[in-house]
Amino acid sequence: MKSRFVQTTHALLMFTALVFGGSVLAADPIKIGWISSLTGALSSAALAENQGVQLAVDEINKNGGILGRQIELLTRDTSGDPTKAVNFAQQLAFSDKVHVVIGPVNSGEGLAAIPILARAGVPNIVIGSIDELIDPQKYPRAFRVINTNRQWISTANDYALKNLKKTKIAIIADTSGYGTASAKTATELLEKAGIKPVYSVLVDPNKTDLTDEMNKARAAGADIVMPWSAATGLLGRLLNARGDMGWRVPVVGHPALMAAQIRKLLNKPEYWESTFAAGYHSTTFGADGKLPQRTQQLVDKVRPKLGGGEIDVLFWWVAMGYDTVKVIEHAIKTSGSTDPVGIQKVLESTKDFKGVFATYSWSPTEHNGFPDSNMTVNSANTFKDGSFKSAPK
Amino acid sequence: MNSLTHTHKAWLLLGGLLIATLPGWAGDQYQLHLASLIAVYWILIAGLNMVVGFTGQLSIGHVGLLCIGSYAFAVLAGKSGWHPALALAASGVLGGVCGLALGLPSLRLPGFYFAMATMAFALIVNDLVLAQVDLTGGGIGLPGPLFPAPFDSPSGFYYLVSLLALGVTWLSWNLGRHMWGRALISIRDNPVAAQSVGVAVFRAKLTVFVFSGVTAGLAGAVFASLQSYITPDTFVFELSLFFFVCIIIGGRGSIIGPFIGTVVLTALPELVAPLAKLGNFFYGLLLLVVVLVVPEGIGRVFDIIRERLRPRVVHREPISPDLARLDRALKYKP
Amino acid sequence: MLTVLITGLATGMLFAAVALVYNVMYSTSKVLSVTTGHISMLGGVFGAYAISVLQLHWTLGLLAAVVAGGAFGALTELLAIRRVLNRSDEHLWLLSTLALATMVQQAAGLWWGTEPKPFPRLIPQDFGVGVMDQKFWLPIGMTLLMAIGLELFYKRTMYGKVFMAMSEDAFAAQARGISTDRIRLMSYVLSGALGGLAGFAAGQLTFAFFALGLTLTLNGFIALAVGGLGSNVGAILGGAALGLLNAYASYWFGGEYQQTIAVGLLMIVLLVKPEGLLGDRQVRPV
Repeated sequence: MKSRFVQTTHALLMFTALVFGGSVLAADPIKIGWISSLTGALSSAALAENQGVQLAVDEINKNGGILGRQIELLTRDTSGDPTKAVNFAQQLAFSDKVHVVIGPVNSGEGLAAIPILARAGVPNIVIGSIDELIDPQKYPRAFRVINTNRQWISTANDYALKNLKKTKIAIIADTSGYGTASAKTATELLEKAGIKPVYSVLVDPNKTDLTDEMNKARAAGADIVMPWSAATGLLGRLLNARGDMGWRVPVVGHPALMAAQIRKLLNKPEYWESTFAAGYHSTTFGADGKLPQRTQQLVDKVRPKLGGGEIDVLFWWVAMGYDTVKVIEHAIKTSGSTDPVGIQKVLESTKDFKGVFATYSWSPTEHNGFPDSNMTVNSANTFKDGSFKSAPK
Repeated sequence: MNSLTHTHKAWLLLGGLLIATLPGWAGDQYQLHLASLIAVYWILIAGLNMVVGFTGQLSIGHVGLLCIGSYAFAVLAGKSGWHPALALAASGVLGGVCGLALGLPSLRLPGFYFAMATMAFALIVNDLVLAQVDLTGGGIGLPGPLFPAPFDSPSGFYYLVSLLALGVTWLSWNLGRHMWGRALISIRDNPVAAQSVGVAVFRAKLTVFVFSGVTAGLAGAVFASLQSYITPDTFVFELSLFFFVCIIIGGRGSIIGPFIGTVVLTALPELVAPLAKLGNFFYGLLLLVVVLVVPEGIGRVFDIIRERLRPRVVHREPISPDLARLDRALKYKP
Repeated sequence: MLTVLITGLATGMLFAAVALVYNVMYSTSKVLSVTTGHISMLGGVFGAYAISVLQLHWTLGLLAAVVAGGAFGALTELLAIRRVLNRSDEHLWLLSTLALATMVQQAAGLWWGTEPKPFPRLIPQDFGVGVMDQKFWLPIGMTLLMAIGLELFYKRTMYGKVFMAMSEDAFAAQARGISTDRIRLMSYVLSGALGGLAGFAAGQLTFAFFALGLTLTLNGFIALAVGGLGSNVGAILGGAALGLLNAYASYWFGGEYQQTIAVGLLMIVLLVKPEGLLGDRQVRPV
């Protein structure tokens, strides 16, 4: 009978071997930083994107990781505060030494944090839409996955001018940073097409009633209203004002017009008719009533995580979050390592990478990866399970 | 507070050494960035401390002055191409002027009114920045210019802000130490008594407020440079609250207290970063707990601990009646 | 143009209601709490929750709003005011109420969400009626009712007289056997209930939105300062002035300078007549 001492030592050695032996076998994880704004403004978008990111990470890890290494996701919540975004960018780049960073979500935070990541040389997958976030010279390792603000605005403008054949445009934006910038871009693009808006106004996003602005727009002879704001309260009130006044004009603008919350803010469900917004082919039901195959696959995968019932968030957020991780996987796999130089080279030569949200292409001079061909216009009140039907041509 | 004891001097020397050599022992660039941020905040808070901690004026709108300083620097050194040092000075001056403009009408108002006026000032500044798109870039914001070498590297910049912070601290310490400081504290504790003793109350309040405006302007300039990009979103009301809380938690009437408060409160959110969602809630909770339990600030906690460990020796001098004399006095009949 | 007038009056009356809440709180405690706006926010949020989520009848929703407001008022008094008043230090109650306000706003944001959610229609009414819409008349009517109610309360009921006694001289009231702590608690519960009611009535105008608190605190305060601390009629006048000014300025100059104009009004009034339009000159024995 072995002595107590020998038995215990034996057990201890085995235990140690198991614990440390195991970790010696596993390779260094691939660290992905995720700067999100899970609380505060635009949190609903961030939360949905987070679902997509988490799903992709879990999926990849279950299948053995990237190049045999597991992904470690470091999530940081900025609550919409640019100072925190800067601090977290610094922390992820220098303290945690992550290999890639996704985000930030809000354009305001992005403007502050992306230069920092660029200076540190960390590859950055950008999901903010403001045009100034991408610059191949200043930020060589930043690649955008979402469409640009310009793509949203020009899609909406094209629909208004070419499909609906309207010429007297009223622009209503909010006083936030996004609103003021978008109103400017929208006016610019319209003037390039030879149209000057008949009415343009900036409104506080919490203004309780928009009847005055709508009345003034009507008095100026507008035959279409184009709102540029991500504030669902404002958009809800705008649609209510249009309905209460009995003014039959189409409303075409920012994708937030199609958000599920809007439905609840409307006085009558009919007020959502004749409302169109920039959308994507990847989240549009085809003529056969079906979503593109890749989208449908992801919907089925995500549904249990969102409660199992109907999906009531904009699905493109989830799809985009999922794609950011897949793009990273593609970059690291193809370049064979997490070396930032290699990642940059791979992404710059990526053509037609098939994601769920879109098919991406980048080049050394073009770091905006979202194709114009994926843009379309949706009808707001066809919201079902996170996706939409096409707007009438 | 009037003079430094030997222990105080030793502590200060040690602290000074740590601060001076920080780029050496800081873990990585992130921690250096954090240290620079603390220094930038402290430049503003040191000035604000004079207003809130010493004179007792509840200004919760100083983020507006920070905003003005930042944008002034970004516009002058960036767009207009001024030399950054000149732009820095100009930001300080502009901050002082705006402090004067704000203080003149508001300082006559009683406590809550003054607080609301400063809060409204911060909101107005935000409105104006968003509206003046041609000057400030509106929602897009402006890039924050860097200082020329040797201050353009992270450690170089750290030394720049540390020097500035040191300068401001020395100024405010002198202010608090001499009779001026006593006058300010008397205004905080009992303005009527102060006035009756001949303290020029309004002039003192205004001077101190302008001083805090200058420091806020300077802080804004280096803040813009540190952040490398400023947008209106950065200058929210919660930041003003943050400054205010640093001072109160640190303890009014002292300089080292609010400094420790600044260090703790800046570093804390970074440490609890994983706790994401509950951040601001715990912040409010912390403030409430401190106000209810140790309203004099953290400094008081140290005093309490010191009392427990080394209680002051109280000399007992019993006072007993002289009974014989009392007897004679009572029996005395004129 | 009529819409501008009515919108301005309606938002103005909401601000006036907040000013009334300030008045009631101030009368017994001499404290102006930062949480005042948040009480109305809670009224709106809980009302929407009760009616939309729990599917209760609107009278129960009203009750929920009132109870939520009153409970929060009591919480303010117990946590933030009582312990702090004894220390005769002005900063402290500002800080404690500020802390409580931050906490309640964050908690509401976490529970209710950060998006404005719809407030249900209370009385069946067609939506196309323009200026006669209940979302304008509910707050106007409710605030006027509250003001009249308060006047009757102060003049005709025993407790009202006790409140007035405390506001005149708290020590004398205490000497006469009035439990100042309990009365103060009562006044906070009352003011909380009123605030909740106001938030409920204005819900269709503002939507149930967690971040309303600070805006209402500031604007309600401007209404109070313009009208004069301590005067209920002044609160109504101040609120109406602020609401109308905001609405017309926004109509003519666009929404960007709203805050500037609101504060501009405040500063002008405070410079010309610091105690407000109908306030009493604050004379303090030294």
